[in-house]
Amino acid sequence: MKLDSAAKAVPLLDVRGVSAGYGGMPVLQDIALKIYPAEVVALVGSNGAGKTTLLRALSRVLPCHGSLFLNSRDLLPMTSDGAFRAGLVQVPEGRQLFDRMSVRDNLLMGAFVRADKSAVRRDLDRMYSLFPRLAERRRQLAGSLSGGEQQMCAMARGLMAAPTLLMIDEMSLGLAPVVVELLIDALVAIRTEGVTVLLVEQDVNLALSVANRGYVMETGRIVRSGSDKQLIDDPEVRRAYLGL
Amino acid sequence: MKTARTMLLLAALAVLAAVPWFGSDVLIQFGINALLLAVLAQGWNVIGGYAGYASFGNSVFYGLGSYGVAIAMAQWQLPFWVGLLFGAALAVVFAVLIGMPVLRLRGHYFAIATLALAQVMAAIVSNVKLAGRNVGLVLPPLNNDPLFYEFSLLLLVLATLTVYWLTRSRFGFGLIAIRENEEGAAVMGVNTTLYKTVAFAISGVFSALAGGIHAYWVTFIDPESAFDIGLNVKMIIMAVFGGPGTVFGPVVGALSLSAVSELLSSEITSFAGLFFGVVVVVAVVLMPRGLADVLRRFRGTGWRYFGENIRSHQL
Repeated sequence: MKLDSAAKAVPLLDVRGVSAGYGGMPVLQDIALKIYPAEVVALVGSNGAGKTTLLRALSRVLPCHGSLFLNSRDLLPMTSDGAFRAGLVQVPEGRQLFDRMSVRDNLLMGAFVRADKSAVRRDLDRMYSLFPRLAERRRQLAGSLSGGEQQMCAMARGLMAAPTLLMIDEMSLGLAPVVVELLIDALVAIRTEGVTVLLVEQDVNLALSVANRGYVMETGRIVRSGSDKQLIDDPEVRRAYLGL
Repeated sequence: MKTARTMLLLAALAVLAAVPWFGSDVLIQFGINALLLAVLAQGWNVIGGYAGYASFGNSVFYGLGSYGVAIAMAQWQLPFWVGLLFGAALAVVFAVLIGMPVLRLRGHYFAIATLALAQVMAAIVSNVKLAGRNVGLVLPPLNNDPLFYEFSLLLLVLATLTVYWLTRSRFGFGLIAIRENEEGAAVMGVNTTLYKTVAFAISGVFSALAGGIHAYWVTFIDPESAFDIGLNVKMIIMAVFGGPGTVFGPVVGALSLSAVSELLSSEITSFAGLFFGVVVVVAVVLMPRGLADVLRRFRGTGWRYFGENIRSHQL
Protein backbone atom coordinates (compact mmCIF):
# COMPACT_ATOMS: atom_id res chain seq x y z
CA MET A 1 0.00 0.00 0.00
CA LYS A 2 2.62 2.43 -1.09
CA LEU A 3 -0.08 4.60 -2.58
CA ASP A 4 -1.50 5.53 0.78
CA SER A 5 1.57 7.57 1.52
CA ALA A 6 1.11 9.27 -1.83
CA ALA A 7 -2.51 9.89 -0.93
CA LYS A 8 -1.42 12.10 1.90
CA ALA A 9 0.50 14.26 -0.52
CA VAL A 10 -0.96 17.16 -2.46
CA PRO A 11 -3.44 15.92 -5.06
CA LEU A 12 -2.45 16.40 -8.69
CA LEU A 13 -6.01 17.18 -9.67
CA ASP A 14 -8.33 18.63 -7.10
CA VAL A 15 -11.94 19.07 -8.17
CA ARG A 16 -14.50 20.53 -5.76
CA GLY A 17 -18.12 21.44 -6.13
CA VAL A 18 -18.04 21.44 -9.91
CA SER A 19 -21.33 21.81 -11.71
CA ALA A 20 -21.89 22.33 -15.40
CA GLY A 21 -24.51 21.82 -18.05
CA TYR A 22 -25.60 22.52 -21.57
CA GLY A 23 -27.66 25.65 -22.17
CA GLY A 24 -29.21 26.05 -18.71
CA MET A 25 -29.82 22.34 -18.40
CA PRO A 26 -27.70 21.08 -15.48
CA VAL A 27 -25.78 17.87 -16.09
CA LEU A 28 -23.05 17.79 -13.47
CA GLN A 29 -23.91 18.53 -9.87
CA ASP A 30 -21.43 19.17 -7.11
CA ILE A 31 -18.69 16.89 -8.38
CA ALA A 32 -15.70 16.36 -6.13
CA LEU A 33 -12.73 14.17 -6.93
CA LYS A 34 -9.03 13.99 -6.29
CA ILE A 35 -6.31 12.35 -8.28
CA TYR A 36 -2.86 11.86 -6.78
CA PRO A 37 0.39 11.72 -8.72
CA ALA A 38 1.21 8.45 -10.48
CA GLU A 39 -2.10 6.73 -9.87
CA VAL A 40 -4.63 5.39 -12.34
CA VAL A 41 -8.12 6.45 -11.42
CA ALA A 42 -11.19 5.02 -13.08
CA LEU A 43 -14.33 7.01 -13.65
CA VAL A 44 -17.15 4.61 -14.38
CA GLY A 45 -20.83 4.94 -14.97
CA SER A 46 -23.49 3.98 -17.44
CA ASN A 47 -24.49 5.83 -20.59
CA GLY A 48 -25.51 9.41 -19.92
CA ALA A 49 -24.08 9.53 -16.41
CA GLY A 50 -22.10 12.64 -17.33
CA LYS A 51 -18.61 11.17 -17.62
CA THR A 52 -17.74 12.82 -20.89
CA THR A 53 -19.34 16.07 -19.73
CA LEU A 54 -17.05 16.01 -16.72
CA LEU A 55 -14.04 15.52 -18.98
CA ARG A 56 -15.18 18.42 -21.13
CA ALA A 57 -15.48 20.58 -18.04
CA LEU A 58 -12.04 19.53 -16.83
CA SER A 59 -10.38 20.24 -20.15
CA ARG A 60 -12.11 23.65 -20.19
CA VAL A 61 -14.16 23.03 -23.30
CA LEU A 62 -17.36 23.41 -21.33
CA PRO A 63 -17.82 26.32 -18.91
CA CYS A 64 -18.44 25.28 -15.31
CA HIS A 65 -18.71 26.48 -11.72
CA GLY A 66 -16.75 25.29 -8.75
CA SER A 67 -13.03 24.91 -8.19
CA LEU A 68 -10.55 23.08 -10.40
CA PHE A 69 -6.89 22.83 -9.49
CA LEU A 70 -4.14 20.99 -11.36
CA ASN A 71 -0.81 20.95 -9.54
CA SER A 72 -2.14 23.81 -7.38
CA ARG A 73 -2.78 25.88 -10.50
CA ASP A 74 -6.28 27.20 -10.96
CA LEU A 75 -7.73 25.78 -14.18
CA LEU A 76 -10.98 27.72 -14.05
CA PRO A 77 -9.83 30.90 -15.83
CA MET A 78 -7.96 28.91 -18.50
CA THR A 79 -9.07 28.23 -22.05
CA SER A 80 -8.88 24.72 -23.48
CA ASP A 81 -5.45 25.21 -25.00
CA GLY A 82 -4.27 26.79 -21.74
CA ALA A 83 -5.39 23.71 -19.81
CA PHE A 84 -3.62 21.59 -22.41
CA ARG A 85 -0.41 23.53 -21.90
CA ALA A 86 -0.81 23.09 -18.15
CA GLY A 87 -0.58 19.35 -18.80
CA LEU A 88 -4.20 18.23 -18.90
CA VAL A 89 -4.29 16.07 -22.01
CA GLN A 90 -7.25 14.20 -23.36
CA VAL A 91 -7.47 11.08 -25.49
CA PRO A 92 -10.90 11.86 -26.86
CA GLU A 93 -13.74 9.48 -27.41
CA GLY A 94 -13.78 8.33 -31.01
CA ARG A 95 -10.01 8.95 -31.04
CA GLN A 96 -10.10 11.95 -33.40
CA LEU A 97 -6.96 10.98 -35.25
CA PHE A 98 -5.69 12.79 -38.31
CA ASP A 99 -6.73 10.06 -40.73
CA ARG A 100 -4.82 11.24 -43.75
CA MET A 101 -1.60 11.85 -41.87
CA SER A 102 0.95 9.15 -41.10
CA VAL A 103 1.16 7.51 -37.69
CA ARG A 104 4.42 9.32 -37.10
CA ASP A 105 2.89 12.70 -37.94
CA ASN A 106 -0.03 11.96 -35.65
CA LEU A 107 2.38 11.31 -32.82
CA LEU A 108 4.35 14.45 -33.62
CA MET A 109 1.09 16.37 -33.61
CA GLY A 110 0.75 15.33 -29.98
CA ALA A 111 3.96 17.19 -29.27
CA PHE A 112 2.66 20.24 -31.14
CA VAL A 113 3.05 22.73 -28.30
CA ARG A 114 6.38 21.37 -27.07
CA ALA A 115 9.54 23.23 -27.97
CA ASP A 116 12.12 20.71 -26.68
CA LYS A 117 12.90 18.96 -29.94
CA SER A 118 15.41 16.40 -28.67
CA ALA A 119 13.06 15.33 -25.87
CA VAL A 120 10.26 14.98 -28.43
CA ARG A 121 12.43 12.69 -30.53
CA ARG A 122 13.24 10.62 -27.45
CA ASP A 123 9.55 10.37 -26.57
CA LEU A 124 8.76 9.26 -30.11
CA ASP A 125 11.16 6.33 -29.74
CA ARG A 126 9.68 5.58 -26.33
CA MET A 127 6.20 5.40 -27.89
CA TYR A 128 7.45 3.02 -30.55
CA SER A 129 8.83 0.70 -27.86
CA LEU A 130 5.66 1.05 -25.80
CA PHE A 131 3.47 0.30 -28.83
CA PRO A 132 5.51 -1.91 -31.18
CA ARG A 133 2.53 -2.09 -33.55
CA LEU A 134 2.82 1.63 -34.16
CA ALA A 135 6.52 1.31 -34.89
CA GLU A 136 5.72 -1.22 -37.63
CA ARG A 137 3.18 1.13 -39.13
CA ARG A 138 4.81 4.49 -38.56
CA ARG A 139 4.60 5.48 -42.23
CA GLN A 140 1.07 4.22 -42.75
CA LEU A 141 -1.86 6.63 -42.77
CA ALA A 142 -3.64 6.64 -39.42
CA GLY A 143 -7.00 6.16 -41.12
CA SER A 144 -5.88 2.81 -42.49
CA LEU A 145 -5.14 1.32 -39.06
CA SER A 146 -7.44 -1.11 -37.31
CA GLY A 147 -9.61 0.19 -34.48
CA GLY A 148 -7.29 -1.09 -31.79
CA GLU A 149 -4.22 0.34 -33.48
CA GLN A 150 -6.00 3.66 -33.83
CA GLN A 151 -6.69 3.66 -30.13
CA MET A 152 -3.00 2.96 -29.49
CA CYS A 153 -2.12 5.78 -31.82
CA ALA A 154 -4.46 8.14 -29.98
CA MET A 155 -3.03 7.14 -26.60
CA ALA A 156 0.53 7.52 -27.86
CA ARG A 157 -0.36 10.89 -29.34
CA GLY A 158 -1.70 11.98 -25.97
CA LEU A 159 1.46 10.77 -24.23
CA MET A 160 3.59 12.70 -26.73
CA ALA A 161 2.25 15.86 -25.15
CA ALA A 162 4.14 14.92 -21.97
CA PRO A 163 0.96 15.17 -19.91
CA THR A 164 0.75 15.73 -16.18
CA LEU A 165 -2.60 14.00 -16.33
CA LEU A 166 -3.77 11.88 -19.23
CA MET A 167 -7.53 11.52 -19.50
CA ILE A 168 -8.64 8.59 -21.65
CA ASP A 169 -12.26 8.64 -22.73
CA GLU A 170 -13.92 5.30 -23.58
CA MET A 171 -10.74 3.44 -24.36
CA SER A 172 -12.41 0.09 -25.01
CA LEU A 173 -15.42 1.30 -26.96
CA GLY A 174 -16.14 -0.91 -29.95
CA LEU A 175 -12.96 -2.94 -29.65
CA ALA A 176 -12.51 -6.71 -29.53
CA PRO A 177 -11.53 -8.15 -26.12
CA VAL A 178 -8.16 -9.34 -27.48
CA VAL A 179 -7.35 -5.80 -28.55
CA VAL A 180 -8.51 -4.39 -25.23
CA GLU A 181 -6.04 -6.75 -23.52
CA LEU A 182 -3.22 -5.16 -25.53
CA LEU A 183 -4.36 -1.68 -24.56
CA ILE A 184 -4.48 -2.66 -20.91
CA ASP A 185 -0.93 -3.97 -21.13
CA ALA A 186 0.09 -0.63 -22.54
CA LEU A 187 -1.79 1.16 -19.77
CA VAL A 188 0.04 -0.86 -17.14
CA ALA A 189 3.32 0.06 -18.81
CA ILE A 190 2.30 3.72 -18.82
CA ARG A 191 1.47 3.49 -15.13
CA THR A 192 4.88 2.09 -14.25
CA GLU A 193 6.44 5.07 -16.03
CA GLY A 194 4.69 7.30 -13.53
CA VAL A 195 2.09 8.95 -15.77
CA THR A 196 -1.12 9.79 -13.96
CA VAL A 197 -4.19 8.53 -15.78
CA LEU A 198 -7.89 9.20 -15.49
CA LEU A 199 -9.64 6.36 -17.26
CA VAL A 200 -13.23 6.96 -18.22
CA GLU A 201 -15.10 3.78 -18.99
CA GLN A 202 -18.47 2.17 -19.35
CA ASP A 203 -16.88 -1.21 -18.77
CA VAL A 204 -16.63 -1.27 -14.99
CA ASN A 205 -14.78 -4.57 -14.72
CA LEU A 206 -12.18 -3.49 -17.18
CA ALA A 207 -11.65 -0.07 -15.65
CA LEU A 208 -11.34 -1.37 -12.12
CA SER A 209 -8.94 -4.11 -13.19
CA VAL A 210 -6.25 -1.57 -14.06
CA ALA A 211 -7.12 1.31 -11.75
CA ASN A 212 -5.94 1.95 -8.20
CA ARG A 213 -9.13 3.70 -7.27
CA GLY A 214 -12.41 4.49 -8.86
CA TYR A 215 -15.31 6.89 -8.85
CA VAL A 216 -18.80 5.85 -9.85
CA MET A 217 -21.04 8.39 -11.55
CA GLU A 218 -24.78 8.31 -11.87
CA THR A 219 -27.00 11.06 -13.31
CA GLY A 220 -24.39 13.75 -12.96
CA ARG A 221 -23.25 12.95 -9.43
CA ILE A 222 -20.50 10.90 -7.94
CA VAL A 223 -22.32 8.21 -5.98
CA ARG A 224 -19.48 5.93 -4.88
CA SER A 225 -15.76 6.09 -4.59
CA GLY A 226 -13.09 3.84 -3.24
CA SER A 227 -10.36 1.37 -4.09
CA ASP A 228 -10.82 -1.04 -6.95
CA LYS A 229 -11.62 -3.92 -4.55
CA GLN A 230 -14.20 -1.99 -2.58
CA LEU A 231 -16.03 -0.93 -5.70
CA ILE A 232 -16.04 -4.24 -7.46
CA ASP A 233 -17.53 -5.89 -4.35
CA ASP A 234 -20.01 -3.10 -3.65
CA PRO A 235 -23.47 -4.64 -4.12
CA GLU A 236 -24.84 -1.30 -5.27
CA VAL A 237 -22.24 -1.04 -8.03
CA ARG A 238 -22.76 -4.65 -8.99
CA ARG A 239 -26.47 -4.10 -9.23
CA ALA A 240 -26.34 -0.87 -11.18
CA TYR A 241 -23.55 -1.52 -13.65
CA LEU A 242 -22.89 -5.17 -13.85
CA GLY A 243 -26.53 -6.18 -13.92
CA LEU A 244 -26.04 -8.68 -11.12
CA MET B 1 17.95 15.33 -56.82
CA LYS B 2 17.09 18.19 -54.56
CA THR B 3 19.68 20.53 -56.03
CA ALA B 4 18.59 19.54 -59.54
CA ARG B 5 15.05 20.50 -58.68
CA THR B 6 16.17 23.82 -57.19
CA MET B 7 18.21 24.58 -60.32
CA LEU B 8 15.25 23.78 -62.55
CA LEU B 9 13.08 26.05 -60.45
CA LEU B 10 15.54 28.93 -60.61
CA ALA B 11 15.86 28.45 -64.38
CA ALA B 12 12.07 28.61 -64.77
CA LEU B 13 12.01 31.72 -62.61
CA ALA B 14 14.76 33.31 -64.71
CA VAL B 15 12.81 32.63 -67.91
CA LEU B 16 9.67 34.12 -66.36
CA ALA B 17 11.61 37.16 -65.17
CA ALA B 18 13.13 37.66 -68.65
CA VAL B 19 9.78 37.74 -70.46
CA PRO B 20 9.60 41.57 -70.67
CA TRP B 21 12.89 41.57 -72.61
CA PHE B 22 11.88 39.17 -75.33
CA GLY B 23 8.09 39.03 -75.15
CA SER B 24 5.60 41.07 -77.09
CA ASP B 25 3.33 43.63 -75.42
CA VAL B 26 0.46 41.18 -75.62
CA LEU B 27 2.50 38.49 -73.93
CA ILE B 28 3.54 40.86 -71.14
CA GLN B 29 -0.04 41.92 -70.53
CA PHE B 30 -1.18 38.32 -70.51
CA GLY B 31 1.69 37.59 -68.13
CA ILE B 32 0.60 40.28 -65.65
CA ASN B 33 -2.92 38.89 -65.58
CA ALA B 34 -1.75 35.30 -65.26
CA LEU B 35 0.77 36.09 -62.53
CA LEU B 36 -1.78 38.05 -60.51
CA LEU B 37 -4.25 35.18 -60.83
CA ALA B 38 -1.50 32.83 -59.65
CA VAL B 39 -0.96 35.07 -56.61
CA LEU B 40 -4.69 34.89 -55.89
CA ALA B 41 -4.73 31.12 -56.27
CA GLN B 42 -1.66 30.80 -54.05
CA GLY B 43 -3.22 33.10 -51.45
CA TRP B 44 -6.41 31.06 -51.51
CA ASN B 45 -4.25 27.97 -51.05
CA VAL B 46 -3.34 29.14 -47.54
CA ILE B 47 -6.90 29.19 -46.23
CA GLY B 48 -8.51 26.76 -48.69
CA GLY B 49 -5.71 24.31 -49.40
CA TYR B 50 -3.91 24.16 -46.06
CA ALA B 51 -6.52 25.06 -43.45
CA GLY B 52 -9.26 23.37 -45.53
CA TYR B 53 -11.67 26.31 -45.42
CA ALA B 54 -13.05 26.91 -48.92
CA SER B 55 -13.27 30.69 -48.82
CA PHE B 56 -15.44 32.59 -51.27
CA GLY B 57 -14.50 35.78 -49.47
CA ASN B 58 -11.08 36.25 -51.02
CA SER B 59 -12.41 38.51 -53.75
CA VAL B 60 -13.36 40.89 -50.95
CA PHE B 61 -9.69 41.12 -49.99
CA TYR B 62 -8.86 41.70 -53.64
CA GLY B 63 -11.39 44.54 -53.74
CA LEU B 64 -10.11 46.04 -50.50
CA GLY B 65 -6.58 45.98 -51.90
CA SER B 66 -7.73 47.67 -55.11
CA TYR B 67 -9.59 50.35 -53.19
CA GLY B 68 -6.70 50.78 -50.77
CA VAL B 69 -4.42 51.74 -53.64
CA ALA B 70 -7.10 53.71 -55.49
CA ILE B 71 -8.11 55.79 -52.46
CA ALA B 72 -4.53 56.42 -51.41
CA MET B 73 -3.44 57.51 -54.88
CA ALA B 74 -6.53 59.18 -56.35
CA GLN B 75 -7.99 60.78 -53.22
CA TRP B 76 -5.00 61.39 -50.96
CA GLN B 77 -2.25 61.76 -53.60
CA LEU B 78 -0.02 59.30 -51.73
CA PRO B 79 2.59 57.07 -53.38
CA PHE B 80 1.70 53.60 -54.66
CA TRP B 81 3.47 51.62 -51.94
CA VAL B 82 1.55 53.46 -49.22
CA GLY B 83 -1.63 52.43 -51.00
CA LEU B 84 -0.47 48.82 -51.08
CA LEU B 85 0.21 48.88 -47.34
CA PHE B 86 -3.14 50.57 -46.72
CA GLY B 87 -4.93 47.89 -48.74
CA ALA B 88 -3.08 45.09 -46.97
CA ALA B 89 -3.94 46.64 -43.61
CA LEU B 90 -7.62 46.81 -44.61
CA ALA B 91 -7.43 43.13 -45.55
CA VAL B 92 -5.98 42.17 -42.16
CA VAL B 93 -8.64 44.15 -40.28
CA PHE B 94 -11.36 42.59 -42.40
CA ALA B 95 -9.91 39.08 -41.92
CA VAL B 96 -9.97 39.48 -38.15
CA LEU B 97 -13.40 41.13 -37.93
CA ILE B 98 -15.12 38.74 -40.32
CA GLY B 99 -12.94 35.71 -39.61
CA MET B 100 -13.81 35.53 -35.92
CA PRO B 101 -17.51 34.85 -36.46
CA VAL B 102 -17.40 33.20 -39.89
CA LEU B 103 -14.50 30.80 -39.26
CA ARG B 104 -16.61 29.07 -36.62
CA LEU B 105 -18.65 27.62 -39.47
CA ARG B 106 -17.38 24.54 -41.21
CA GLY B 107 -17.65 23.02 -44.66
CA HIS B 108 -20.48 24.24 -46.84
CA TYR B 109 -21.70 26.65 -44.19
CA PHE B 110 -18.43 28.53 -44.25
CA ALA B 111 -18.46 28.66 -48.06
CA ILE B 112 -22.01 30.03 -48.13
CA ALA B 113 -21.36 32.60 -45.42
CA THR B 114 -18.35 33.95 -47.30
CA LEU B 115 -20.18 33.84 -50.63
CA ALA B 116 -22.36 36.76 -49.59
CA LEU B 117 -19.46 38.95 -48.46
CA ALA B 118 -18.43 40.20 -51.89
CA GLN B 119 -21.98 41.29 -52.73
CA VAL B 120 -22.32 43.09 -49.43
CA MET B 121 -18.98 44.86 -49.83
CA ALA B 122 -19.85 46.02 -53.34
CA ALA B 123 -23.09 47.49 -52.00
CA ILE B 124 -21.33 49.20 -49.10
CA VAL B 125 -18.53 50.66 -51.21
CA SER B 126 -21.07 51.99 -53.74
CA ASN B 127 -22.27 54.31 -51.00
CA VAL B 128 -18.95 55.56 -49.69
CA LYS B 129 -18.02 58.97 -51.01
CA LEU B 130 -14.31 58.49 -50.38
CA ALA B 131 -14.41 55.42 -52.65
CA GLY B 132 -16.13 57.31 -55.46
CA ARG B 133 -19.54 55.71 -54.85
CA ASN B 134 -20.74 53.51 -57.72
CA VAL B 135 -18.85 55.54 -60.33
CA GLY B 136 -15.47 54.28 -59.19
CA LEU B 137 -12.07 55.91 -59.06
CA VAL B 138 -9.52 56.83 -61.71
CA LEU B 139 -5.87 56.40 -60.81
CA PRO B 140 -2.91 58.33 -62.22
CA PRO B 141 -1.65 56.22 -65.15
CA LEU B 142 1.77 54.61 -65.27
CA ASN B 143 2.55 53.17 -68.69
CA ASN B 144 5.21 50.70 -67.73
CA ASP B 145 3.99 47.16 -68.29
CA PRO B 146 7.40 45.52 -67.76
CA LEU B 147 7.52 47.06 -64.29
CA PHE B 148 4.05 45.77 -63.43
CA TYR B 149 5.07 42.40 -64.76
CA GLU B 150 8.17 42.15 -62.59
CA PHE B 151 6.22 43.43 -59.62
CA SER B 152 3.57 40.75 -60.07
CA LEU B 153 6.25 38.09 -60.42
CA LEU B 154 7.91 39.28 -57.23
CA LEU B 155 4.60 39.06 -55.41
CA LEU B 156 4.07 35.53 -56.70
CA VAL B 157 7.52 34.53 -55.48
CA LEU B 158 6.70 35.98 -52.06
CA ALA B 159 3.38 34.15 -51.91
CA THR B 160 5.01 30.87 -52.94
CA LEU B 161 7.79 31.28 -50.39
CA THR B 162 5.13 31.89 -47.74
CA VAL B 163 3.37 28.67 -48.70
CA TYR B 164 6.71 26.85 -48.73
CA TRP B 165 7.30 28.13 -45.21
CA LEU B 166 3.90 26.71 -44.25
CA THR B 167 5.02 23.23 -45.26
CA ARG B 168 8.03 23.47 -42.97
CA SER B 169 6.69 25.35 -39.97
CA ARG B 170 4.77 24.50 -36.86
CA PHE B 171 2.10 26.96 -37.97
CA GLY B 172 1.58 25.09 -41.24
CA PHE B 173 1.52 21.77 -39.40
CA GLY B 174 -1.22 23.17 -37.19
CA LEU B 175 -3.23 24.29 -40.23
CA ILE B 176 -2.97 20.85 -41.83
CA ALA B 177 -4.09 19.31 -38.55
CA ILE B 178 -7.12 21.62 -38.57
CA ARG B 179 -7.90 20.56 -42.14
CA GLU B 180 -7.58 16.87 -41.32
CA ASN B 181 -9.49 16.90 -38.04
CA GLU B 182 -10.31 20.17 -36.37
CA GLU B 183 -11.53 18.57 -33.17
CA GLY B 184 -8.40 16.46 -32.96
CA ALA B 185 -6.27 19.56 -33.48
CA ALA B 186 -8.10 21.40 -30.71
CA VAL B 187 -7.63 18.44 -28.37
CA MET B 188 -3.90 18.51 -29.07
CA GLY B 189 -3.63 22.11 -27.95
CA VAL B 190 -3.81 23.96 -31.28
CA ASN B 191 -5.46 27.32 -30.76
CA THR B 192 -7.71 26.76 -33.75
CA THR B 193 -9.44 30.16 -33.76
CA LEU B 194 -6.11 31.99 -33.79
CA TYR B 195 -4.61 29.72 -36.44
CA LYS B 196 -7.58 29.99 -38.78
CA THR B 197 -7.78 33.74 -38.40
CA VAL B 198 -4.07 34.19 -39.13
CA ALA B 199 -4.37 31.91 -42.17
CA PHE B 200 -7.36 33.95 -43.38
CA ALA B 201 -5.36 37.15 -42.92
CA ILE B 202 -2.28 35.84 -44.77
CA SER B 203 -4.54 34.67 -47.57
CA GLY B 204 -6.21 38.09 -47.56
CA VAL B 205 -2.99 40.08 -47.65
CA PHE B 206 -1.84 38.38 -50.84
CA SER B 207 -5.22 38.88 -52.48
CA ALA B 208 -5.14 42.53 -51.45
CA LEU B 209 -1.64 43.10 -52.82
CA ALA B 210 -2.64 41.49 -56.11
CA GLY B 211 -5.73 43.71 -56.21
CA GLY B 212 -3.61 46.79 -55.51
CA ILE B 213 -1.20 46.08 -58.34
CA HIS B 214 -4.06 45.33 -60.69
CA ALA B 215 -5.85 48.57 -59.80
CA TYR B 216 -2.77 50.69 -60.49
CA TRP B 217 -2.14 48.79 -63.72
CA VAL B 218 -5.64 49.20 -65.18
CA THR B 219 -5.91 52.73 -63.64
CA PHE B 220 -9.64 52.45 -63.03
CA ILE B 221 -11.80 50.56 -60.56
CA ASP B 222 -15.48 50.39 -59.71
CA PRO B 223 -17.33 48.29 -57.12
CA GLU B 224 -18.56 45.78 -59.69
CA SER B 225 -15.12 44.83 -60.98
CA ALA B 226 -13.32 45.11 -57.64
CA PHE B 227 -15.65 42.80 -55.72
CA ASP B 228 -16.21 40.23 -58.42
CA ILE B 229 -17.27 36.81 -57.13
CA GLY B 230 -16.32 35.33 -60.52
CA LEU B 231 -12.71 36.10 -59.71
CA ASN B 232 -13.02 34.12 -56.50
CA VAL B 233 -14.44 31.17 -58.39
CA LYS B 234 -11.51 31.42 -60.81
CA MET B 235 -8.90 31.35 -58.07
CA ILE B 236 -10.52 28.31 -56.48
CA ILE B 237 -10.67 26.47 -59.80
CA MET B 238 -7.03 27.25 -60.48
CA ALA B 239 -5.86 26.21 -57.03
CA VAL B 240 -7.95 23.03 -57.02
CA PHE B 241 -6.95 22.16 -60.59
CA GLY B 242 -3.28 22.50 -59.77
CA GLY B 243 -3.47 20.81 -56.39
CA PRO B 244 -4.67 22.47 -53.18
CA GLY B 245 -2.38 22.08 -50.20
CA THR B 246 0.76 21.86 -52.34
CA VAL B 247 3.47 24.48 -52.87
CA PHE B 248 3.44 24.70 -56.67
CA GLY B 249 0.04 23.28 -57.56
CA PRO B 250 -1.86 26.58 -57.52
CA VAL B 251 0.87 28.35 -59.53
CA VAL B 252 0.94 25.66 -62.20
CA GLY B 253 -2.85 25.52 -62.21
CA ALA B 254 -3.21 29.28 -62.61
CA LEU B 255 -0.58 29.69 -65.32
CA SER B 256 -1.72 26.71 -67.39
CA LEU B 257 -5.43 27.50 -67.16
CA SER B 258 -4.79 31.17 -67.96
CA ALA B 259 -2.83 30.16 -71.03
CA VAL B 260 -5.46 27.75 -72.30
CA SER B 261 -8.26 30.20 -71.59
CA GLU B 262 -6.38 32.98 -73.39
CA LEU B 263 -5.77 30.80 -76.44
CA LEU B 264 -9.39 29.74 -76.56
CA SER B 265 -10.78 33.25 -76.24
CA SER B 266 -8.70 34.39 -79.21
CA GLU B 267 -9.38 31.30 -81.34
CA ILE B 268 -12.89 30.06 -80.61
CA THR B 269 -14.69 32.71 -78.62
CA SER B 270 -17.90 30.79 -78.08
CA PHE B 271 -16.17 27.92 -76.33
CA ALA B 272 -14.04 30.10 -74.09
CA GLY B 273 -16.95 30.92 -71.86
CA LEU B 274 -17.60 27.25 -71.36
CA PHE B 275 -13.99 26.55 -70.57
CA PHE B 276 -13.91 27.01 -66.82
CA GLY B 277 -17.13 25.08 -66.44
CA VAL B 278 -15.65 22.15 -68.30
CA VAL B 279 -12.46 22.37 -66.25
CA VAL B 280 -14.44 22.18 -63.01
CA VAL B 281 -16.30 19.09 -64.13
CA VAL B 282 -13.22 17.34 -65.47
CA ALA B 283 -11.08 18.23 -62.47
CA VAL B 284 -13.65 17.11 -59.91
CA VAL B 285 -14.43 13.86 -61.70
CA LEU B 286 -11.01 12.76 -62.87
CA MET B 287 -8.51 14.40 -60.54
CA PRO B 288 -10.12 15.69 -57.37
CA ARG B 289 -6.76 16.14 -55.69
CA GLY B 290 -5.31 18.25 -58.48
CA LEU B 291 -2.48 18.08 -61.01
CA ALA B 292 0.10 17.72 -58.27
CA ASP B 293 -1.46 14.44 -57.17
CA VAL B 294 -1.70 13.22 -60.77
CA LEU B 295 2.01 13.89 -61.29
CA ARG B 296 2.87 12.14 -58.04
CA ARG B 297 0.78 9.02 -58.53
CA PHE B 298 0.33 8.64 -62.29
CA ARG B 299 3.66 6.89 -62.75
CA GLY B 300 2.67 4.24 -60.25
CA THR B 301 -0.91 3.65 -61.25
CA GLY B 302 -1.04 4.68 -64.92
CA TRP B 303 -4.39 5.34 -66.51
CA ARG B 304 -6.06 3.41 -63.71
CA TYR B 305 -5.58 6.57 -61.65
CA PHE B 306 -8.51 8.27 -63.37
CA GLY B 307 -10.64 5.16 -63.23
CA GLU B 308 -10.09 4.86 -59.51
CA ASN B 309 -11.08 8.46 -58.99
CA ILE B 310 -14.29 8.01 -60.96
CA ARG B 311 -15.13 4.88 -59.00
CA SER B 312 -14.51 6.56 -55.66
CA HIS B 313 -17.22 9.16 -56.39
CA GLN B 314 -20.05 7.35 -54.74
CA LEU B 315 -22.80 9.36 -53.21
